[in-house]
Amino acid sequence: MSAAPLLEIADVVTAYGRIEALKGVSLSVAAGTITCLLGPNGAGKTTLMLTVAGILKPKRGAIRFEGASIAGWLPDRVVARGVALVPENRLVFAQMSVRDNLLAGAYLRKDRDAVAADLERMYERFPRLRERAQQHAGTLSGGEQQMLAVARALMSRPRLLLMDEPSLGLAPLVVGDIFRIIAGLKAEGTTVFLVEQNARVALDVADRFYLMEQGRVSFQGTPGEVVQDEVIRRAYLGSARPRLPSPPPQAGEG
Amino acid sequence: MGGRLIDAVQNTLDGLMVGSSYALLALGFTLTFGVMRRLNLAYGATIMAGVYLGTWLTLEHDAGVAAGGSAAVGGAILASLYVERLCFASLPERAALASMVSSFAVWMQLEEAAMLALPRHTYPFPALVSGEPLGVVLPWGALALRLEYLVMLGSAMAIGAGLYFVLQHTRFGRALRATTDNALGARLLGIEVGAMRMRAFALAAAVGGIAGFLIAATDQQVTPMLGMWTTIKGLVAMMLGGLGSLRGAVAGGLLLGVVEAHAQWYFGPQVRDLVAFLLLFACLAVRPAGLLGSARAGGSHRPPGGGRG
Amino acid sequence: MDEFTVGVLSNVGMISFLALSAYLLLVTGEISFGQQGFFAIGAYSAGIGTALWGWPLGVALAWGAAAAAGAAALVGALTLRLRGLYFAVATLAFAEAVRITFELLRYQVEIDGEPAGPNGTEGFRGIRYVLEHDIGPMQYLGLIYGLLAAVLALFLWLERARIGRVLRMIGEDPALAAMQGVDVARAKLAAATAAGALAGLGGGLYAHLTTYVEPRNFDVMLGVHSLAYGLIGGLGTAFGPLLGVAIDIGLLESTRWFSGYRMIVFGGLVAVLLILRPRGLLDERLVQRLRSGWPFGVHAAR
Repeated sequence: MSAAPLLEIADVVTAYGRIEALKGVSLSVAAGTITCLLGPNGAGKTTLMLTVAGILKPKRGAIRFEGASIAGWLPDRVVARGVALVPENRLVFAQMSVRDNLLAGAYLRKDRDAVAADLERMYERFPRLRERAQQHAGTLSGGEQQMLAVARALMSRPRLLLMDEPSLGLAPLVVGDIFRIIAGLKAEGTTVFLVEQNARVALDVADRFYLMEQGRVSFQGTPGEVVQDEVIRRAYLGSARPRLPSPPPQAGEG
Repeated sequence: MGGRLIDAVQNTLDGLMVGSSYALLALGFTLTFGVMRRLNLAYGATIMAGVYLGTWLTLEHDAGVAAGGSAAVGGAILASLYVERLCFASLPERAALASMVSSFAVWMQLEEAAMLALPRHTYPFPALVSGEPLGVVLPWGALALRLEYLVMLGSAMAIGAGLYFVLQHTRFGRALRATTDNALGARLLGIEVGAMRMRAFALAAAVGGIAGFLIAATDQQVTPMLGMWTTIKGLVAMMLGGLGSLRGAVAGGLLLGVVEAHAQWYFGPQVRDLVAFLLLFACLAVRPAGLLGSARAGGSHRPPGGGRG
Repeated sequence: MDEFTVGVLSNVGMISFLALSAYLLLVTGEISFGQQGFFAIGAYSAGIGTALWGWPLGVALAWGAAAAAGAAALVGALTLRLRGLYFAVATLAFAEAVRITFELLRYQVEIDGEPAGPNGTEGFRGIRYVLEHDIGPMQYLGLIYGLLAAVLALFLWLERARIGRVLRMIGEDPALAAMQGVDVARAKLAAATAAGALAGLGGGLYAHLTTYVEPRNFDVMLGVHSLAYGLIGGLGTAFGPLLGVAIDIGLLESTRWFSGYRMIVFGGLVAVLLILRPRGLLDERLVQRLRSGWPFGVHAAR
């Protein structure tokens, strides 16, 4: 790709105490694309997401967003700059109404009228959220909570949306809905960088893939190259039929 | 017959009015416990410190009751920020026990500091209102409503309503509730959790400072025991209502006030306290989630919301 | 030793029982604000034993410990499913109820023409067994530390035995312990009962040393202090709470260097100490290292 990447990560190391979870990760996310990060449990995918979002501080390495170095920034600055993370397990505010969850997403914004307009836009895009606007988020189903988590993150008007395992614990049909939403975001111009165990659904939407193993990037390529790669196909797509939908590993409907 | 009934009504009303100040204390406790998931044992001591500052101003510098009250609230806020920085912000989130013991140590500090400033056991505190109790004549007897109790109830209701509005309908309130609900989720939206916790402490101290001021102005005296007293009343009321629920805190405070008023009337002050503690023990043993607590609280509080590792 | 030193050492010894009592529960992951209630039950029961019923000291101390253990077993059974703050506040409520009950308790018997026995808020005077039997302060100190040494030996054995590991496992993760086949409820009840007995024994010793107890000796302050001692001294070993008691009572209270503002110094010291060592001076890691031979380099690894 010729254009400068929207997000560029170079040789990032993040450690919990003395244990390095990221051992020098380098990758880039091009503007207007969907990039998918694959990898087994414990590979450091969530750590990478939390590092970009500013929750964890990298020990060294560079993180550049739109050319500006954001490594080591606190989350509020990262969000204000235009990067939002939809975290693993969604972390919606269970005791708050759906509407208050969405408004909390716009916490850093001062433009009240535009926030109100965005709220309305979210309700239009996710009619279920409008129906349940006054309900506590904890009463929503898993799929609805995931929609809420995405909508909440979008309320900060990010140009880059990070998503950590959006299909986790959702039924296959609901996973389909979520990925349609992701494709829609790209169509609107929001760049998406997502972690996904369920590579099969990601193949339909993602433009570029990275594979992380033991804290390092071990493979990168296009969807075509992913399908070609014998090892990845076996580990992440199941053996023979790469494109047929099948239940995700943790198929507990929420 | 009518005499008995009118006593019961009178006790219940007195209990509700005194209980409104317990409710304020429980609200303060709930706010800080909510955002911290750790118990601040120094909560009552910070209130006592504020009230002592107010007392000192009124005694030594002839400050009026309004200035004394403002000083009580301001002093409580300052003391609570000291507690927050030293005992909570400086310790890792999972060190709940260390924070609790640390806040207890600071309680001892504040108590001794108060006794150094004002060494006698009790000091007078100016009354907020004075006058004959308000008489209300009902068909089966007469009620006497003490003016200072009415002021206490009115102030508590106003503060409760104000707190409800702030928490439910302002940007700050939403962020505070989000921090309480899930700290990591809140941080990801750009909410500065550390600053939010400080503000929650200050808010709780303001509410507690007003309660302490109302209590001191009603009793017209202060002692260093106020710290212990407010801690116990607030803690008991919070647990009776259900840990983590603001409505429960109000209900627990009112219930405690009513139970105490009846027990005091029929059995005297010692039994009053005994009944309150036995009620609390029984409630915890039978229904730990409290009157209005969510069922899932049952017996254990949630682990602190925080990041991985 | 002069009288003052003996007095201080006696106090340190007796409060150590209470601190060890709170520590035993801390090890199993429970915070009790109420061990002073069992201390009070031990003090009153043992005092009644010698002063009113004419029992020998040994029997009365055992009876005090047994009464406290019985009460602790009852409280333990009623609060078994409570955790964290719920347990802490339930124990607080119990101990305060005990204190107020003793404020209401009047049980006076005429002895040698004088009324003796618990007299409500006036307290319980004339627990004179030690004076009447010519037990000197040094002898009594010996008794306190003999019993404390026995208890400590029991703790040290416990820490190395399977039951000690089981209790720590429960403290760290009760669900995991249950999965490993541990009867968590039974172990916790046993720990609570033993902790009650320890506090009761300390209470009995206390009553006979001071010859006079009153309900307000046993308020929440005493309980939270004894809890704090474990955390200050460290949660890694039974020596931790003893160290905590020694620092507070032995060093700060007795040396009078800071008289008038001792609590301001002590409070600040504790707060700063906990920032540096959130699990106390002798925390689990340090104890591990000491056990594995550090600093002599037997095992360099953590």
